[in-house]
Amino acid sequence: MERVIKVARMQLINKWVFIGLPLLILGCAFIFSLVIFWIVRENGGEGTMYGGGAQAPMWYFLALGIQALTLTFPFSQAMSVSRRSFYLGTVLLFGVCALALSVFYYLMGLLEKATGGWWMDARFFALEWVADNNVAVQIGFYFVLMVLLFMVGFLIATIYMRWRTTGLLVFFIALGVLLLGVIALLTFNQLWANFWTWALTWTAAGVTLWGGVVAVVMAGGSYLTLRKATVA
Amino acid sequence: MSEQTPVEVRNVSKTFKDVKALDDVNLQLDSHKIYGLLGRNGAGKTTLMSILTGQGFPDAGEVKVFGHTPFEHDATLSRICFIRESQKYPDEYKAFQAFKAAALFFENWDEQLAQELIADFNLPLKRKIKKLSRGQLSAVGVVIGLASRAEVTFFDEPYLGLDAVARQIFYDRLVEDFAEYPRTIVLSSHLIDEVANLLEHVIIIDSGRIVMDEDAESLQGAAVTISGKADVVEEFVADYPVIHRDSLGALASVSIQQRLTPAQQAEARELGLELSPMSLQQLVVRTAMGRNVLAAHQDQAKERASWNA
Repeated sequence: MERVIKVARMQLINKWVFIGLPLLILGCAFIFSLVIFWIVRENGGEGTMYGGGAQAPMWYFLALGIQALTLTFPFSQAMSVSRRSFYLGTVLLFGVCALALSVFYYLMGLLEKATGGWWMDARFFALEWVADNNVAVQIGFYFVLMVLLFMVGFLIATIYMRWRTTGLLVFFIALGVLLLGVIALLTFNQLWANFWTWALTWTAAGVTLWGGVVAVVMAGGSYLTLRKATVA
Repeated sequence: MSEQTPVEVRNVSKTFKDVKALDDVNLQLDSHKIYGLLGRNGAGKTTLMSILTGQGFPDAGEVKVFGHTPFEHDATLSRICFIRESQKYPDEYKAFQAFKAAALFFENWDEQLAQELIADFNLPLKRKIKKLSRGQLSAVGVVIGLASRAEVTFFDEPYLGLDAVARQIFYDRLVEDFAEYPRTIVLSSHLIDEVANLLEHVIIIDSGRIVMDEDAESLQGAAVTISGKADVVEEFVADYPVIHRDSLGALASVSIQQRLTPAQQAEARELGLELSPMSLQQLVVRTAMGRNVLAAHQDQAKERASWNA
């Protein structure tokens, strides 16, 4: 456990990577959105304004998942750290950061509602589909999204670490075949209408739950892949 | 402090696709010794070291470090240090951050020693690692390797890019620190004569097999080069194992793998022959490491010479 904490501390040696950059991205997305909202409002725009910028840092987490592995894993091996400690330390650290950021989102959502949408009836943090749920679902939703994106990057990177380019090719081709299969199935059986009707019934709570399950599966898969990965 | 043997390797083999990188390797490394791990490029040195440090894994056989398999065993791993020859550092890391990380993980890390070494090598601490020269990059690895004071430390071609002065600093500091804090050190190097004085034990690996595993003492003076008039030299070396021949006209220089007694040495000198000890590098290159290749090349050269005659 001690070594796991040390791995987390190592990942934080460069504070920019796990803390600085996501906050910067979020800050820029937010301020840019506010300026745009203000411009629209000042020029006669009516009705509630919705901005999707809150997702901006989340795509960074995809890149972070990849980088945390490809750049830090070889170094952690040189530091005589076991793969297990590296995995746990990195994933747990990310979990803590994601949780903190999710709580931040929730609090900013409260502030948004309290100020009447930043005094402009604008929505950035508290989008109704998410915000009209209880605290747990809200924070859980953001958390699961962030972890999912991180895990996608992390899993892909572990596949690369273990099986290199061949592994990636096999993975993506298999994924493509799977998707094509599903699309063919839906199209031939004319099930698209059913599919979309079903998709529209998704709730934030449901996405949180099932997203969480997928994230756990990916987390397990990436650990098993990493166990036999080598640096050279 | 455990009384266990630091490193035990039994029947380890490793194959990459169709190349046998390690072929039934058996080794034992004791504590308080400096080992030289020598071998040609691609002989299997790095593969062996990465298996010994749990970074790679064998296809057959077993490795025990202080009685445990190092793979994924944190308690054992924390007693080992292995800095690769082309070690990757996190992007954006500055030199001082690499040392900060090392201080976190190596229990015996000595910050003062690290600072002294950093000053010795003139390392720019605030510079990004990707902006360092090849020599400076090697120096970072050397600093981490030495200051970690890990009970088993591997240096994989640590001298790459280091200028002659920096290399001397490394050797001097290594010997100095080893004297005060003895441990097991494995040094893989291509500059054999430079490290010859440091090594207490020599291990040579060739195409995945261990072809020499001996105390350095027994190798010092194990071979001698005899030079003089060709016919006199040939007569003298007739009874001894020859490992190399050089000739120029009527003169010849023959190296034999034999310790000559004082009487035999006197006899040689009386015949007007010159004796000179063979360096460790020459001995190793002419025998264990390069026997096949160099001997074949000599035979080819002789054949070509005889066509022209």
